[in-house]
Order: sequence, then C-alpha cells, then structure tokens
Amino acid sequence: MTLARPARVSLVLAAITLAAVVVALTYGQTALPWWDSLQSATGFTTDSPADFIVGQLRAPRTYTATLVGALLACSGALLQSVARNPLASPDILGVTQGAAAAAVASMWAFGNTSSLALAPAAIAGALLTSALIVGVGWSRGIQPMRLIVAGIGIGFVASSVTTYLLTAVPEHLAPQAYLWTIGSTNARVWEHVTLAAIAVAVTVPLALWLERKLRVVEMGDDLAAGLGVRPVRLRLAAIALGALAAGLAAALTGPIGFVALVAPAIARRLVRTEGIALVPSIITGAALTAVADLAARELFSPTQVPIGLFTAAIGAPYLLYLLHRAKGIRS
Amino acid sequence: MYRLAFAAPAAIIVALVAVVASLAIGAQEIPPADVWAAFVDYDPANASHQIVRDLRVDRTVIGIAAGAALAVAGALTQSLTRNPLADPGLLGLNAGAALAIVLGTVVAGVGSFAPQILLAFMGAAVAGLVAYGVGATGAGAAAPARLVLAGAAVTALLTAVTSAIVVAQPFALNQLRFWLAGSLTGRAGVPTGPLVVGIGLTILVALLAVRPLSAIALGDDAAASLGTRAGLTRVHVLVTVIALAGVATALAGPIAFVGLAVPHLVRALVGPRIGWLLVLSIPFGAAVVLLCDVAGRIVARPGEISVGVTTALLGGILLALLARRMRAVAP
Repeated sequence: MTLARPARVSLVLAAITLAAVVVALTYGQTALPWWDSLQSATGFTTDSPADFIVGQLRAPRTYTATLVGALLACSGALLQSVARNPLASPDILGVTQGAAAAAVASMWAFGNTSSLALAPAAIAGALLTSALIVGVGWSRGIQPMRLIVAGIGIGFVASSVTTYLLTAVPEHLAPQAYLWTIGSTNARVWEHVTLAAIAVAVTVPLALWLERKLRVVEMGDDLAAGLGVRPVRLRLAAIALGALAAGLAAALTGPIGFVALVAPAIARRLVRTEGIALVPSIITGAALTAVADLAARELFSPTQVPIGLFTAAIGAPYLLYLLHRAKGIRS
Repeated sequence: MYRLAFAAPAAIIVALVAVVASLAIGAQEIPPADVWAAFVDYDPANASHQIVRDLRVDRTVIGIAAGAALAVAGALTQSLTRNPLADPGLLGLNAGAALAIVLGTVVAGVGSFAPQILLAFMGAAVAGLVAYGVGATGAGAAAPARLVLAGAAVTALLTAVTSAIVVAQPFALNQLRFWLAGSLTGRAGVPTGPLVVGIGLTILVALLAVRPLSAIALGDDAAASLGTRAGLTRVHVLVTVIALAGVATALAGPIAFVGLAVPHLVRALVGPRIGWLLVLSIPFGAAVVLLCDVAGRIVARPGEISVGVTTALLGGILLALLARRMRAVAP
C-alpha cells in the first residue's frame, strides 16, 4: 500500500504543521504543564493559569496565524496557476495591498477595528484591485510579466492610500495603524479564529473544485476547450477566488507578505510537479505561518515583533533567488 | 532641435510656476500680495510673512533639491541599465536609506546630520547593489520586469524591517511618521543648506557622465574604441545615484516614482539624448515634486497629503500604464 507522492508530502507537512502548533501552544514565557496547555487550547477548563495564558492569548493567535497561512497559500497557488508564473501572488500583484487599504479606510471612516467589521471592506478592496489588474494587464490573453508589473503599480497606488491614512490618524493610534503595512498576529481573539475557520471552509473546497479544471487548462487552452472547460471564465473565477482568500487573510491579520508566493513554490518542489498542487500548498502555508508566528512571539520576547517581518525575511531572499535564476522567469 | 527650443523654456517656465505655487499656496490662505511683500518688504511681526519666509521657503527649497536629485538619479539609472522601468525608489535605494536612518535614530539617537547622511548612503548602497546585482544582470525582453521585481522584493523586506522597528518604538514613530511618508517639511537636526549644496554638487558630478554614458549606449566594445572605460563609468554613475538617492531620502523621506516618471516625460519632449535628458530632469524633477506637494496641500485642507503619497499614487498608475505598453514577451 503506497500512497501517491502528493498525498505522502501532504501527510508529512500536516505532521510538521501539527508539531509547530503544539509547540506554539505549550512553549512560552510562562512555563505551564503541557497537558494543561493542550486542554485549555482545545476549549477545556483546567482552573489553572493556562486557561487565560493559553486559552485566551496563545491559542487564538496560533490558530489564526495557521489558518491565514492556509488562505494565503490557497490564493497564491490559484494565481500562480492562472498566470503560469511562479512570481504571481496576491502580495506582488497588489491584491493584498488593496485589501489592506480598504480595511484601513473603513477603520478610519467608521472607527471599527474588529476583523468581522473589516472583512467586507477588505474583500471588496481585494476584488476591486484584482479587477483593476485584470483590466490593465490583460490584453490579448495573459502576459505574466505585464500582469505582474501592472500589479506592482496598482499595489503602490493602494499602499499610498494606506500611507496617507497612517499620517492622518491621531498620534496614539499610529503604532496600531502601522501594523497594517506589515501584518500582525498579536492580540488575536477567538472571534478571529471563528472567522478564519469559516473563511477556510468556504474558499478551500471551491479552490479544490477549480483545481481539476485548472490542471486541464495548464495543458493548453485548445485541449481544455476540447474537454469542455472554458479557459477564460475559469481564469477569471480562479482570480476572483484568489482575491477573496487574500482579502479574508488581510482582514484577519493585515498584509502578511511572501507566504502566498513561497508556499506554493515549496509545495511544487516537494511534489515534483510544474502545475498547481493545491493541498500541499495550503498545508505548507499553514506550517510557514505557524512557525513564523511562534518566532514573532518568542524570538525577541518580551518585545512583540510583527509576523510579517519573519515572512519577509524568508520570502524576499527567496524571490531574489528566483529572479537570479533566469530559468525561474518563464516569460 | 526645434523640440529642444520648445522644451528648454517650457521646463524653466513650469519650474518657476511650481516654485511660485509652492510659495503662494498652503494650508494657511495668504493673499498673493502678502506673499510678495514677505520678500520685498519683510515685516518680522507679520505672521503671514513669517509663514512664507520660514516655512514655505524651506519647503520649496527642499522640494527643488529632492525633486532634482531623484529625477537625475532616475535618468542615470535608466540610462545605465537601459531599462525604462528603473528608478531608485523602485529599486529599493530610498527604502534602504530610510531604514538606515530609522535604525540610527532608534539605536543611537542620531540627531546630528553627518551620521545620518553616512547611514543613508550605506543603506542606499546596500539596497541598490542587491537589486542591481539580481535585476540588472541578464538580457532579454524580461529584463525590465525583472529589475522591477528585484526592487520590489528588496523594498518589501526593508519596509517590513522599518515597520517592525517603528511599531516597537512609538516614540521614534511619532518623530518620523511624516518623514516616512515622504514630506518636504524637513526635520529637526537635519540642516537643509548643506544638503542642498551637496545635491547641487553631486548633480554636477553626474553631468560629467553624459559623454561616457552615451558611448556605453552603443555597446561596451564601441565605447572602448572611443576611449571610454565602461567599468569606471558604471562605478561613477552608481556612486552618484546612491549619493543622490541617499541625500534626497535624508531630506524628504522615501519618495518613489519621481525618478521613474520625469525621465519618461523629458524623453517624450526632447527624445533620447542623454545630455538633455539629465539637464532637463533638473527643472522637471523639481516641478513635479513641488506640484505634487502643492496638490496635497490643496486637496486635504486643513490637513495635507504628504508628497510621497501623491507621487506613489500617480507613479503607481504610470507604472501600470507602462506595463500595458510593455512589448509582448515571447514565451
């Protein structure tokens, strides 16, 4: 009984993710019995300090970070498949920045800061930005590099809105607002976990449904049309779903960079495929953000560092390496 | 030549209009007569005269210097890399200088300006060399996009580190918040005079590169037969670009896209000759920055929009449009 390679890779990655989550729940500034920690983290009451420290502080941020990683990777895998280019991802194409700008604008206009209240704005921002990118970068089919450069430009436009709002908020709110330029998992509560779980439950099944058709389209539009798949409609659907996942992720934590770019690439390499590998990508994303969140929490403790710093520290060198290897640029 | 006969006076007129607008228009409404009187008939007791003479003159001078520096740096970068999308801001030089200055401010409380300038040079140099090393090597139609992407990766990483620092150090953030968005208001501890003189001298040094740059444009072999040393010219240009980007950032914060947009504007007016490109980038660069700053003062009354926000907004749109015009790259 041997499993196919994607399934084996997914199982190993899932084990790594689970291990990272368990470590994140049981390890910390305050030493607690690990059994108490795990009980508190899964909703049982232990009548010990773990109820608060793990149940209210560690668990929500760990779960949120892990689920957001899955969302980002899902978005990246979809967009990379559509653009047929390993460089496409919501944060490079500007979708993430569009979501963050809309979220900050809604915060500034209505004074609400909860993810639940920001989610509609973030999703709208992501969808609007992706529509702009398609409108600008799509002429005579998809030219990946044109799409990407257009996306970088649109990302700058969105970031400029965020930057303006950062100078417009009152001084005491500035540090809090600044987290919207980098992404943060500090001070997450169970409400975030609930929203993240719903987001994953909605987007991932839809993505899995699209994945089979995307595989067909990756083989060529003519073949796809012969098999009854409509390439253009499918691409637009995949872009919209990718934007939705990125928008939800931005609403939950702000714009965490590079996970969406790197996770699908790692997964493709492990599975040894050129095409989309959705499930391994999603689990890789979850593992990446679980580890990055633990680092953000404990590495410079007691100072809390934004998680986006760690994902950028891993992701930016990787992107430069990709660019350096000219083979990575299939234009 | 007739285009030049039109462009040179036009450049001077546009720059003069921008300077007058920058002196006459602001958050505080001051009648033109009073602005005029502030120069010809100065009355130290008159608050309006004080605003014009102290605040607006400083702001205008910083705008002229930063605008000219960034535009010339952009023209040099585009000529050297033969890449229409090259810009010190896009390549991460400004972000590198900004990070170095923020680090210096937080770690050592660098208030005096000599260490700041040195830090800005170092930051710009490191960022620029990484992006250039990754993005400018290799030929082919994908090269422009590759340089932009390499710059985006470097910028993202540096900005993430900067954000992480200012989030952890609210005190530093409130000192640097407006400067980080790119603004012409100047900062305590950073004298305007010496920096402006430094920019002027550096631009003169840059103009010495016109002839060898024109020779290199023909190819390294042809340049060698004309007696031009390509390697030396590259070092000359890179050092000048780093100096200009570093000083401009120390003065006005990280302002993107002036270096991208102005050379395109000048080339549209007078064609591709490098000499005129560099010379006319001076007045047009100053004008673009001043007009963006004035626009930000008018639109957001009684507050104002930082000049860096306006340039990123317009520049992002320009980049997206340039992407649309990008030659379709053969697969």
